[in-house]
Amino acid sequence: MKYTINSFKYIYYLGLFISVFISSCKVDPIADPNNPSLSGITQNASLGEIQNLVDGTESGMRDNMSFYFDDIGVIGREFYRYSTSDPRFTSDLLGKGNAVLDNNTFYITNPYAARYRVIKNTNILIPALQNTRAVITDDQRRAGIAYAKTIQAYELLLVFNLQYGNGIRVNVADPNNLGPFLSKDESLNAIQMLLNTANTDLKNNMASFPFNTSLYSKVADDFSKFNRAIAARVAVYRKDWTQAGTALSESFMNLGGSLTNGVYYLYSTAGGDQLNPQFFPLNVNGETRVVQPNFVPEGEAGDIRVAVKTSLRTDTAFQDGLKSAYDFYVYKTNAASIPIIRNAELLLLYAEVQAQTANPVNATNAIDIIRNAASLGDYNGATDLNSLINEILKQRRYELFGEGHRWIDMRRYDRLSQLPIDRTGDDVWEQFPRPANE
Amino acid sequence: MKKSYTQFAVFLFILLTPFMLNAQQTVTGTVTGTNNRPLVGASVKIKNNSNIGVSTDVNGKFLLEIPGQKAVLEISYVGYKSQTFTAGSESKNISINLNEDIGNLDEVVITGLGTSVKRSNSANAVSSVSARELVGTTTQATVDGALYGKFTGANISSNSGAPGGGISVKLRGITSISANSQPLFIVDGVYYDNSSINAGLNTVSKAAGQGSASAQDNPSNRIADLDPEDIDKIEILKGASAAAIYGSRAAGGVILITTKKGKIGKPKVELSHSIGFQMQLRKLGGRTWDAAKVQSAFGSTGTALYNAGGGKIYDYEDELYGRKGLMNNTRINVSGGSEKTTYFAGFTYKNDEGIVNNTGFEKMSFRVNLDQKVFSFLDISVNYNYVESQADRGYFNNDNTSTTLGISFVSTPWWANLYPDANGNYPNNPLAPSNFLQTRDLVTNREKINRTLVGGSAVIKIFKNEMHDLKIMTRGGIDHYTLNTIAIFPKELQFEKNGNGTNGLSAYGTTITRNSNMNAIAVYNLTLTNKLNFRTQAGLTAENIDLNNVLTTATQLIGTQTNVNQAGAIQADNAKTIQKDRGFFVQEEVNYNDIFIATAGIRGDKSSRNGDANKLYYFPKASLAVNISQMPFWTFNKVNPLKLRVAYGEAGNFAPFGAIYTPLVPAIFNGNTGSLIGLSQGNEKLEPERQKELEFGLDVGVLKNRISFEGTYYIKKADNLILLVQVPTSSGFSSAWKNVAAIRNRGFELALNAIPVTTKDLKWSIQTRLWKNKAEVTRLDVPAFNTGAFGATLGTYRIQKGKSPTQIVGIGRPGEPKDPESGLTVFGDAEPDFQLSFTNTVSWKNFDLSVLCHWKKGGKNINLSTLLSDIFGTSPDYDDKNVDPSGQMTNGAYRLDALGSTAGPWVEDASYFRVREIGLGYRFPVNMIKGVSQIKVGFSGRNIFNSFKYNSYDPEVSNFGANAISSNVEVTPFPSSKSFHFNVYVSF
Repeated sequence: MKYTINSFKYIYYLGLFISVFISSCKVDPIADPNNPSLSGITQNASLGEIQNLVDGTESGMRDNMSFYFDDIGVIGREFYRYSTSDPRFTSDLLGKGNAVLDNNTFYITNPYAARYRVIKNTNILIPALQNTRAVITDDQRRAGIAYAKTIQAYELLLVFNLQYGNGIRVNVADPNNLGPFLSKDESLNAIQMLLNTANTDLKNNMASFPFNTSLYSKVADDFSKFNRAIAARVAVYRKDWTQAGTALSESFMNLGGSLTNGVYYLYSTAGGDQLNPQFFPLNVNGETRVVQPNFVPEGEAGDIRVAVKTSLRTDTAFQDGLKSAYDFYVYKTNAASIPIIRNAELLLLYAEVQAQTANPVNATNAIDIIRNAASLGDYNGATDLNSLINEILKQRRYELFGEGHRWIDMRRYDRLSQLPIDRTGDDVWEQFPRPANE
Repeated sequence: MKKSYTQFAVFLFILLTPFMLNAQQTVTGTVTGTNNRPLVGASVKIKNNSNIGVSTDVNGKFLLEIPGQKAVLEISYVGYKSQTFTAGSESKNISINLNEDIGNLDEVVITGLGTSVKRSNSANAVSSVSARELVGTTTQATVDGALYGKFTGANISSNSGAPGGGISVKLRGITSISANSQPLFIVDGVYYDNSSINAGLNTVSKAAGQGSASAQDNPSNRIADLDPEDIDKIEILKGASAAAIYGSRAAGGVILITTKKGKIGKPKVELSHSIGFQMQLRKLGGRTWDAAKVQSAFGSTGTALYNAGGGKIYDYEDELYGRKGLMNNTRINVSGGSEKTTYFAGFTYKNDEGIVNNTGFEKMSFRVNLDQKVFSFLDISVNYNYVESQADRGYFNNDNTSTTLGISFVSTPWWANLYPDANGNYPNNPLAPSNFLQTRDLVTNREKINRTLVGGSAVIKIFKNEMHDLKIMTRGGIDHYTLNTIAIFPKELQFEKNGNGTNGLSAYGTTITRNSNMNAIAVYNLTLTNKLNFRTQAGLTAENIDLNNVLTTATQLIGTQTNVNQAGAIQADNAKTIQKDRGFFVQEEVNYNDIFIATAGIRGDKSSRNGDANKLYYFPKASLAVNISQMPFWTFNKVNPLKLRVAYGEAGNFAPFGAIYTPLVPAIFNGNTGSLIGLSQGNEKLEPERQKELEFGLDVGVLKNRISFEGTYYIKKADNLILLVQVPTSSGFSSAWKNVAAIRNRGFELALNAIPVTTKDLKWSIQTRLWKNKAEVTRLDVPAFNTGAFGATLGTYRIQKGKSPTQIVGIGRPGEPKDPESGLTVFGDAEPDFQLSFTNTVSWKNFDLSVLCHWKKGGKNINLSTLLSDIFGTSPDYDDKNVDPSGQMTNGAYRLDALGSTAGPWVEDASYFRVREIGLGYRFPVNMIKGVSQIKVGFSGRNIFNSFKYNSYDPEVSNFGANAISSNVEVTPFPSSKSFHFNVYVSF
C-alpha cells in the first residue's frame, strides 16, 4: 500500500510546532544567586534592605579614611606617618628631594575611590527609597533621600579637600556617563547647594527616617542640625560668612555644650567590624605615627591638649631622616571614635565668622570657651581681624589636632608657606593630582 | 516548558502512522570482515539514499528489498572501508568481504546535532579517537590524559602529577583571556561538567593574596570521573567551524564522547585486569654538601646542625617522591543483544597509589547502556553511569606560608633530620616553617565524588519512503554529582601549633551539581534522484546548570577533632552558579552524488548568563566538501579519494559567571551587617565572546588508502573577549567587565597515515600528526597589561596588541632587548613552536606492538621551583657551572644574582620528547580453551622514555590549573610519574 501524503504538510506542521516551542522557551533572567541584587533593591526594596544600604553606607564612609587623615596630617605637618613597608608616606607626601605626589598611588587613589563608592551606595539608596513599596510616609521618603544627599555632599567635600584646585566631579549618578569636572569654586558651590536642597526636606520635617542611623539622629528635623553643621563648614570654606552664620545657628552648635558633642565615625573590635586606623600602640617602631617636632614646644604653656594628644616616647623615633620624641596619641584605643564634625569645630567656625563680620566680642567669647576647656586663660591678644584669625587657626591646630583640618586651614588662608619644613628640599603640597584612571 | 512537552507528545501521536515500504526486489547476502568473520550490525543501504537500508544480523546476514531492477548497494561497518556492490534480482546469498579502514575515511563524523556523515564527505577536520587508540595501548587514568598526542590541534597539559587528574585542554590555541578556555565535554548527548573546585587549602597556603589573586589549590577537573574504558569513540570539534552547532558554549571546542553499546549476538563477557606501578618520572637528586657550603647557605645555625648530625645526608627526594605506587585496574564488560535489544554493562575498579605516601586515586565506575527497538518506528536508548571516586592529592604548589610539601621540600637541606622519634613525635624543621614528612603523614587533601549520569534518547521514524524520510530525535540527560573536598591540617603540625598557624584547620567543602540538558531535532531526508540528496534538520535545545558550592572552614580545632563544629572559629563560604540556556538549530545539507557536499546552518541561543536573557545570539555555519576523485572525469585510481574542503562557523563563550551582576557586598558596622556596592561593576550589556573560524583542507588517499593524508589550515578569531578593566573610580567602581579584546589563532594540522607493510602475518601501520598554532592579540581597547604568574621580576604574561597572548615578559638587564612601551624584555612564549606525534602499530602473528611518541618543540615555562630552591640553597645543580655564559659563577649564584635585574633565568624552554604510551601484547590462539573466545596478555607503560632539558621534574606543569593564559608556571608541583603495567584480557 502506498500513502499519498503530501510530506510538505509535515514540514509545515513541524515549522508551526517549532515556532510554538521557541516562543514558549522564554528564559527568565536569573538574579545574582550569590549577592543581593542591585536591580531588586532599586526596584522594590524591603525596609530591611534599605537598612542594609544605610549600614553599608555608614560602614563605607570609614573605608580608607586612614589615608585621608594621614594625607592631611602629614602634609599639614601635624604628624609623620612612619612605615617600613611603604616609604612613600615620608617621601612623596613630604616632597622629599625630587619626590612628587603621584597620580596613581594609594594615598590619593584609595581615599578618592572609597568616597565615590559611598556616593554610589547612596545613589542606590535614593531610588530604593523612591521605589520601595514598603509602608513609609512621603515625609519619611523625602527625609531618607535628604539623608542620602547629605552624605553625598559630605563625601564630595572630602574628595574636594584633597583635589582642591583640580575641582571634582559632582554628578556621578550614572557610572557609564559621568558628569564633568567642575572648577574649584563650582565644586564647593555644588556641595553647598546639595546640602541646602537636602535641608529643605529635613528642616521642620518631624518624620523619622525609615531606617536607623548612627549619625546624629534619625528624626529628620534633628538630622538637619548635622546637615547645617557641614553646610557651615562649606560656607566658611567658601568665605560666605552670612550663610555660614545662618547655618551655624541652625546646627547643633552649643556655646555651653560639650566640645566633643557631635557626629563620629564608629569603630569596634567586633568580628568583621573595622578598627580605628589612626590608633597605634605607644612606643612602636616601624609602623606608627609620631608628632611633628614643632607641635609640642609651640603649644601654649599649660595647654592640656598637648599632653593629652601626644605621648613622650621611651626612645626617639627615627625614620627616613625624620625624628620625633612624641607619639601621636589622639585616640587611646583601637575602638575609639573619630569625629566627623563636633561642637568644638562649630564654635571655632562661629568665632571665625564673627571675626570676619567685625564682631570681635562674639569671636573672643567663642575662643575663650575653647581656651578655658584646655585650661588656658581668656584670650587677651589684639582683636583686629588678623590677630583673631591667628588665634583661631592656633586653636584649631591644637583643638582639632589630627582630625583632618590643619592643612586645609593653612591653605584657605594662604599660609602653606608657614608650615615647617623638616628636611632640606621637602615641599608643602597644595593639592593632590587627579587620579590617573579619571 | 512543561506545556510544550505535552504539545510535543500530542503532535507525535498525530504523526505516528505505521508505514511500509513498497519493495520490488529482494537481495540477500553475508558481510564479513578480517579473517572472514561475519560482521554483525553492518549497514547495507542503497548508495546516496539513506532512506533504504538494513543492518546485518548475528550471522552477518542481511535481506534488503530494493526498488527497481538494479541498485548500487553501499556496505559499511565501523573500522572498515565501505564497499559498493551493484545488486539486482539475481543477487542472492552474495558475500561481501570488507577491508579495514586505516585512514578512517568511512567512519562517521558529526555534522549536526542529530546527524553525521562519512568522514570522506565531511567538510571539517573533525578528529576522532577510537576506543582502541584511547585505551588499547595502555591503562589510562583519565579521559583527557588519554588524549595526548592522539589527534592534531590540541595543546594538552597536565597541571601536576597529583593522582586523580587535573589537565588542561586547549584546542587550536587560546580562545579567551579571562573566561573559560576549556572545551565543552558531551557524553552520549549529556553535557558533562568539567569544573575544577578548590578545596580551601588557600586558608593555610595563603597563595592568593600576595602577588596573585588566584588560589593555587591544584584541584582535579571533573572529566576525571568518566571512565576511559567505557568509551567507544571520541570526536573532537576543535573550532567554531565544526562546533557552531553547539552555539554559545562552544568557543573552546567540543569533545563529543560516545560510550560503548552492545552488539547483536551472543552475550560477550570481557574481563581484564592490569597491575602495575608508577614512579617518579625524573629524579633531580640533591645538592652535594660540605661544611663550607652549609656555612655559606645557612650560617652558623646551619653549621651547628650539620655538625650535630655528623654530616649525615638523607635522601629526601627518595623519601618524599620515591614510592613505587601500586596501580590496579579491573574491568568487566558484559554485552550482547538481540535484534530488538542490545545492552552493554561495564564495571571498573581502579586503585592507583601516588608516588607520595598518602596520595592516591581510587575509582569505581558502573555503566549500563541499553538500546531497544520498541516499535518499527521507535528506537530508544538509555545510558546510566554511576561513579564513586576518591583522590588524595597531597599538599603542593605555591604558598606564602612555606608550608606546602613542595615549598618545604626545596627549603630544607638534606642534612636536616626531619624523621620522627621512636614515639612518633616529629621534630620541628629547624630551618623552615614546616616539616614536610610530618605534613605528608598528617595532612589530608581529599576529593570524594559520587556522580550519576543518566541519558536517554529516542528516535521516532515518522515517515519513510523512497523519497522522503522524516524522523524526530529527542535526547536528554542529567549530570548530577556531589563532590566533597576534605582538607585537614591537624593542630600538631609545626605550622599550626604554637601560634604559627590557626591551631589546626578543617575545611569541608560540598559541591552539589545538577546539570541537565535536552534537545529535540527533526531530520528530514529528501532524495530527489539517486544523485541528489537534501537533509534538513531543525531542533530545539535546552541546558540548565545548577552548581552550589559550600565551603566550611574551621580553625582553632579542639584536640584531634576534625568535625567543623569542634572548633573555635568557623567560616562559611557559599558560591552558586545557576544558568539556563535555550536555543534552536536549523541546518540544511545537500549531497550531490558524493561529489559536492554543502552544509549551511544556524544556531540561535539565549541564556541567563547574558545581560539580556531573552536576546537570541546567532551562530551561523557553512561548509563545502568537494570530492574531486568522485567526479566522472577522475580516472586516476591510484589517488582516491581526493577531497577539498572549506568550512566556516561561529561559536560563543560566556563571560565569567557573575560578570553581568553588580553585587552588593556585606559590610559589618556597629553591630549590623550592611550592604555596600561591590568594587566591580557588572555589565548587563556584555556580549558573549564570539569566535569565528574559517578552515580549509585537503584530504588525499593514495594506493587504495594505503597512504592517506589530511591537511588543514585554519584562521580562528576570538572577538569581543571579556576583561575586567579599570574604570574611573568616581563612578563608584574600580573595575568593570567589558568586551575589549580579540585574539587571532592561525595554524595548520597535518596527518599522514600509512600502512607500509601488510601481509598475512605482519602488519605495520604508522600515523603521524604535526600541528602548529600561532596566536596574536589583534584588538585591545585598553592599555597593554601584565597578567598571570608573579609579576615582571619573575616573569609574567603580557597582553599587548600585535603580540602573542602567551608571550612571557619580565624585567631585563641592560643589553637585553626591551619593549619601548613597557620597558620589559620578551623572554619567550608559552605556546609551542609545533607538536608532532606518531603512532606505530605492528602486528606480527599473535603479537601486537603499539608505540605512541609525542614531541613538543618550543614553548616556555616560568620555572619558579628553581628560584625557590636557589634561594634556600638546595638546588641540585647549585654548584654546577653551566648557566653563566662566562663560566665564572655557579648556577645557583648566577641565578640569584639575576634576581631583581632580569627574569631571564626562570623562563625555560619546555620542549619535550616522550614515549607517551607503549604496549606489547600477545593474543592466544582463538578457541584454545573451550568457552573462552580470546585471551590477551601484555606489558605496557606510560611516559616510559622522556627527554627534555627543562630543569625540573617535568616541563608539563601548571601552578594555576587550567587558567586560559597563566598556565605554564611551575611552583614546586606534585612531580609527574611514569607507569608500567601488566595486562590480562579474557573474553568469553
